[in-house]
Amino acid sequence: MDHAVIQLIVSGALMGLVYALVAYGFQLTYATSKSINFGQGELVMLSAFVSLTLTNTGLPYYLMIPGGLLFGVIAGLFVERAGVRLALEQKSEGWILMTIILGLFGISAAENIWGRDDRPFPTPIPTEPIQFFGVSITPLEISVAVGVVLIMVVIELFKRKTLLGKAFEAVSADRDAAELMGISATRTIMLSYGLSGLVAALAGILVSPITTVGPTMASALVLKAFSVAVVAGLESGFGVVIVGLFLGSLESLTSFYVGSGWREAPGLVLLILALAIRPTGIFGKAVIRKV
Amino acid sequence: MKKRVLTVLLAGLITTQAYAADSIKIALTGPFSGGSAPMGASMRDGAKIAIAEINAAGGIKVGAKMMKFEVLERDDEAKNERGALIAQELASMSDLAGVIGTVNTGVCLAGDKHYQEKGITKIITPAAGSASMTQWSKAKVKDLSIFRLAAHDGIQAAMVVEEAINRKFTKVAMLYDSTNYGVSGRDDMVEQVKKQGNKLQVVTSDKFNIGDKDMTAQLLRAKNAGAQAVLIWGIGPELAAVANGMAKIGLKAPLIGGWTLSMSNFIDNSGKNGNGTLMPQTFIEEPITPKAKAFIAAYHKAYNVKRIPSPVSAAQGYDAVFIFAAAVKQAQSTDTKKIKLALEDLKEPVQGVITTWKKPFTAWNPANEETHEAFRREQVVMGMVQDGHVIFGNDADRKRLISNATSVKGKK
Amino acid sequence: MLKRLILIRGIEVLMVLLLASIPLVVNNSFVLGLLTLLAIYGILLIGLDITVGYLGLVNLAQAAFLGLGAYAGALTVTQLGFDMLSALLVSTVIGLVMGGLLAFPSLRLEGPQFALATLSFSALSATVLNEWESLTLGAQGLQLHRPPLFGFVLDSKGFYWLCLCFLGLVWMAMRNLLSSQWGRAFEALRDSPIATDAMGIGTYRHKVTAFALGSGLGGLAGGLYAFNFEYLQPHVFVYELMVILLLGVVLGGRKSLWGAFVGAVLIVLLPNLLSNRLLFQIFSATGFLLALGAGGMALYQKRTKLFQAAAPIIAMGLLVTGSFTVQNTEDWRKAIFALMLFSVVVGLPEGLMGFASRFLSRIFSIDPESFAPPSLLEEVLVRKDVDGAPLLQIQDLKCYFGGIKAVDGVSLTVAAGTIHGLIGPNGSGKSTLVNLVSGLYVPTGGTIQFQGRPLVQGSLFAVAQQGISRTFQNLQLFSELTALDNVMVSMKGYYRSPLPLVLLGLAKRSEKRAEADSLALLEMVGLSDQVRVPAKDLPYGAQRFLEIARAVARRPTLIILDEPAAGLAHPDVITLLGIIRRIHQQGITVILIEHHMDVVSELCDTVTVLDGGRIIAEGIPDDIRRNPLVIEAYLGKGSEPAAPAAERPGTLEPVPA
Repeated sequence: MDHAVIQLIVSGALMGLVYALVAYGFQLTYATSKSINFGQGELVMLSAFVSLTLTNTGLPYYLMIPGGLLFGVIAGLFVERAGVRLALEQKSEGWILMTIILGLFGISAAENIWGRDDRPFPTPIPTEPIQFFGVSITPLEISVAVGVVLIMVVIELFKRKTLLGKAFEAVSADRDAAELMGISATRTIMLSYGLSGLVAALAGILVSPITTVGPTMASALVLKAFSVAVVAGLESGFGVVIVGLFLGSLESLTSFYVGSGWREAPGLVLLILALAIRPTGIFGKAVIRKV
Repeated sequence: MKKRVLTVLLAGLITTQAYAADSIKIALTGPFSGGSAPMGASMRDGAKIAIAEINAAGGIKVGAKMMKFEVLERDDEAKNERGALIAQELASMSDLAGVIGTVNTGVCLAGDKHYQEKGITKIITPAAGSASMTQWSKAKVKDLSIFRLAAHDGIQAAMVVEEAINRKFTKVAMLYDSTNYGVSGRDDMVEQVKKQGNKLQVVTSDKFNIGDKDMTAQLLRAKNAGAQAVLIWGIGPELAAVANGMAKIGLKAPLIGGWTLSMSNFIDNSGKNGNGTLMPQTFIEEPITPKAKAFIAAYHKAYNVKRIPSPVSAAQGYDAVFIFAAAVKQAQSTDTKKIKLALEDLKEPVQGVITTWKKPFTAWNPANEETHEAFRREQVVMGMVQDGHVIFGNDADRKRLISNATSVKGKK
Repeated sequence: MLKRLILIRGIEVLMVLLLASIPLVVNNSFVLGLLTLLAIYGILLIGLDITVGYLGLVNLAQAAFLGLGAYAGALTVTQLGFDMLSALLVSTVIGLVMGGLLAFPSLRLEGPQFALATLSFSALSATVLNEWESLTLGAQGLQLHRPPLFGFVLDSKGFYWLCLCFLGLVWMAMRNLLSSQWGRAFEALRDSPIATDAMGIGTYRHKVTAFALGSGLGGLAGGLYAFNFEYLQPHVFVYELMVILLLGVVLGGRKSLWGAFVGAVLIVLLPNLLSNRLLFQIFSATGFLLALGAGGMALYQKRTKLFQAAAPIIAMGLLVTGSFTVQNTEDWRKAIFALMLFSVVVGLPEGLMGFASRFLSRIFSIDPESFAPPSLLEEVLVRKDVDGAPLLQIQDLKCYFGGIKAVDGVSLTVAAGTIHGLIGPNGSGKSTLVNLVSGLYVPTGGTIQFQGRPLVQGSLFAVAQQGISRTFQNLQLFSELTALDNVMVSMKGYYRSPLPLVLLGLAKRSEKRAEADSLALLEMVGLSDQVRVPAKDLPYGAQRFLEIARAVARRPTLIILDEPAAGLAHPDVITLLGIIRRIHQQGITVILIEHHMDVVSELCDTVTVLDGGRIIAEGIPDDIRRNPLVIEAYLGKGSEPAAPAAERPGTLEPVPA
């Protein structure tokens, strides 16, 4: 029975890491612009399809990855230009609708370009499970976990160690002050959307071998990721990993011990409670109201 | 604004009703976008191949005129509300000959009453949920304009349970998706277990949601309870997630379930983990007869694919059109009520890709839904997934199907 | 007046008559089905608009309330044999109660957090409906028959008229509510929750009420939905529907009943219209020409950015191209929908009705509703006799933020009927002190007594209720409300009518009195000419005065003015002095926080000087000016005393006796 528990936690935690990666994409844009891309799931999906197409042209897996990531960045920049910038300039919340609308268009385009069916995503990484103390885990799953953590570490290092990254941090901390210091907020927001697209593309490439590629592959994923991002606190960096791991494992355990139909219920209740107690998220900064 | 929209709308309704007096107007409905789209679109595309064939041959002779089919497509997005509105729209067209389609049983339950109310002839395909026909027998309607050309879940569940018993399993796990399709499939299977003498012990019964990718919890429960086979009812990529999850945790038991296990999104995405999976089939994408060969080739060519997303849906859509066309020919009319009467008493056998249909329907009897169900147990075979294809589960089935499909030829 | 009545109410009546008569003319069940759904969605969207439009929150739970209401209505019919009206009542009550329950944990949430809380609630309610198979039959779906209304089973025409009646009733009730204090309070809440509490309006009560009412309408719509489709499944009421509803409200135009209705028209008709190719081609071509015309015009007049004009043109251009070239438009439905929505959201950010009402008001110039004559100021602010006894006593008050001691042991007494100045350099703790007294911050230690009783701490609302009113250094006006509404919403003492009476439109008399009183206060601060101007469009000085008028509308015992002269031009400072004196004359005690030493000297009876969170001096203004500690705090060590007479503007009026 103990093995079962660990197996459940491991499997759940893996999904949790994927939630965390998509959630991290939300955080990146929220930090700079207080906006998020509600079509993030569609970016994941489109990047996965583009990567799949690249693979089908005969490109080797490791050469396909940069191509997929590049598409992610471009798509992220497009979302910023077409869906977000105007709303931010008008200081309205129009970006919510605009990103939803762009996502809708993305789904429809994918359905017509690549078909409505879910398709397998080839990967050179073995999918035969390995046993660790009675717990099965596939090398593919390990690669997902490693990839998720790696990209987040890289981006966090970028934000802390490079000049461009520091500009990013400055705009997150205080947009007006940063602009006074000569940092262009618009460019930084573009950068954040580009990075967020990159993260989405990576998520697509990493999880597709497990989840398969299809127009609706990310619609369930993205809602979970949204929950993780908000509960962790939209500005908290690695908080998403902890919340993601927790939520993923909780779902897995609930579905084993309570019943598979109730899989999501405890997570949802905890989520509402967590928000009621800490509105800015568990790892978010408490805000002192100034007037 | 509102007024203008209304004028346009009204104008639109009038125009749709004005054109095409010399054609047989037929509507194809189903989800052409979203998660159930592979089935809906395959059905539609299969049906359109049939229509293209008929129209290319000049159409159907009704009275003195050769009439061609004219198609209206309506995407119900698998949404009940859309389905109901589409049914209302189609039912209000005075010159509509009939409707073919619907994938989701819920959409049938929400919309079909509008067809029935106006007496519009509809052939349901490929929605297999039992409720879409039993709702009429429960309501004890006297006269019914709804027919079905799909191996309904009752037949399929009986075969699934039978297969598990034949393979000497005693403990099985049930897994089903949380939609109407999955839950009613579960109910049918539970009923069949009882009916077939309680030879199977259902050790676990679990759900999964659309979009779930991690099935570890459900499968571990099944494994811990010692399940020898997994009886499964669901649609789409989640089925593949189950097969892959079983391989991962080392649950070595075959998957047996509804026909959706033959869809390419299961076969492709489960890879070798899908081998040995069993499911009832009405059509297998294997060119066993010339007609099937021609159909498969036509489909591949017309839609530029290497494999039909849902061969069963496509074949049923194709055959439904031919059956409908035969009824039009026999009725010598495009009047939907006359077509309904003809359907209930088709004199000529209809050559389809699935089989040669001899009197698929008879006059409606509320005590027996089978009167409006085209499929019988003997038209359905067990298919098995093997290396990316569905093959016949046993060779006897294959021979029987070939003989079904070709038997009439000699007489002609 | 008459013209206004005819135009506005007339169009509404005409619309209802038109809608009601369509089934008599067109005998088509599809049209009837669309119209019925339109009426139901109209109710649903009006409910959603309360939270999305008036409260400005992204509410993703409305679909869940539709579902809960639908199931509640259906189950009372199938299980308990209720008739139509009682089942609909149950639906509405379920919506109200569940909405109220959800509002509690979500009270402090805004933006993405609120969206997530409501999203989670929807997912949870869908799970419960799906899993509670013994009651709801779960995913199998619940079939039911339309229950009788007063013993008659309605056919689809009759049911449509019933839905239309409900829409009409909801329309009237909401119009009454939203044009009342409640509507103003909802908008106040959106623009500034802090000021809403500080003005004693109460965020709590209004947020819960708004949410519960909106959800109640969702429940009612749900009941009608159930009896219309006669078949329910839990998965209908999930994320996808919520997004569509949200799009409907925004496209139609927020904060408008017509907007909600137009939104309903769009989301009901558009997907069904797209099925017809010819209609679709006409539609997209018209849209393209409109976008081209409007965009080109706007660009020519340089009223808009290139993107805003070009994007809709490109989107509609794509649509037109698609409508003629794509073989199967049905395959591209979602993309088509997305392109249309994109054009509208970019091109008309305030929604179709927002655009239309601007356009129409240019064609039919409707005179604004005339106001009641203003009350006499003496009647609005009845002069209080004050005795100079201690009104506010602060003892050893402390407030630390982490390691920062913003206020560190302040003791202070404000005598009734005085103007008490509070000065100090930046960061000296003045604003923190005020925020402590007014209840925004909870003190780390110490006590505050008001009128001899301990003052509630840490609640703006409770403090406001006790008779303390304030303005804000960083303006906290209700920016989208007009000047008049800013004052009216804060007016104390008139809005006692219970909610049901307000909904029935029976609370209009107190409205008129509040209006007259508010006009008097606006006159006092010199804004008589700008009563209809939204606060955000007022000049800066006027905004400052408006804040004071709004604070005075509370008829407070003590008013705290937080740097009212900050950023004011000289003539405005003079006006300000007059206003403060006028308030003071009516017996209201004033605490004045100021940088301008001149203003302080001119007005204050006593001045307290803060530095580094502590009091460094206290006394009459002239003494304070000469106090070396004060000079040092302001100017640094070793500075010479300032030359007060030279700095003081010569034109200031003499201090009244």
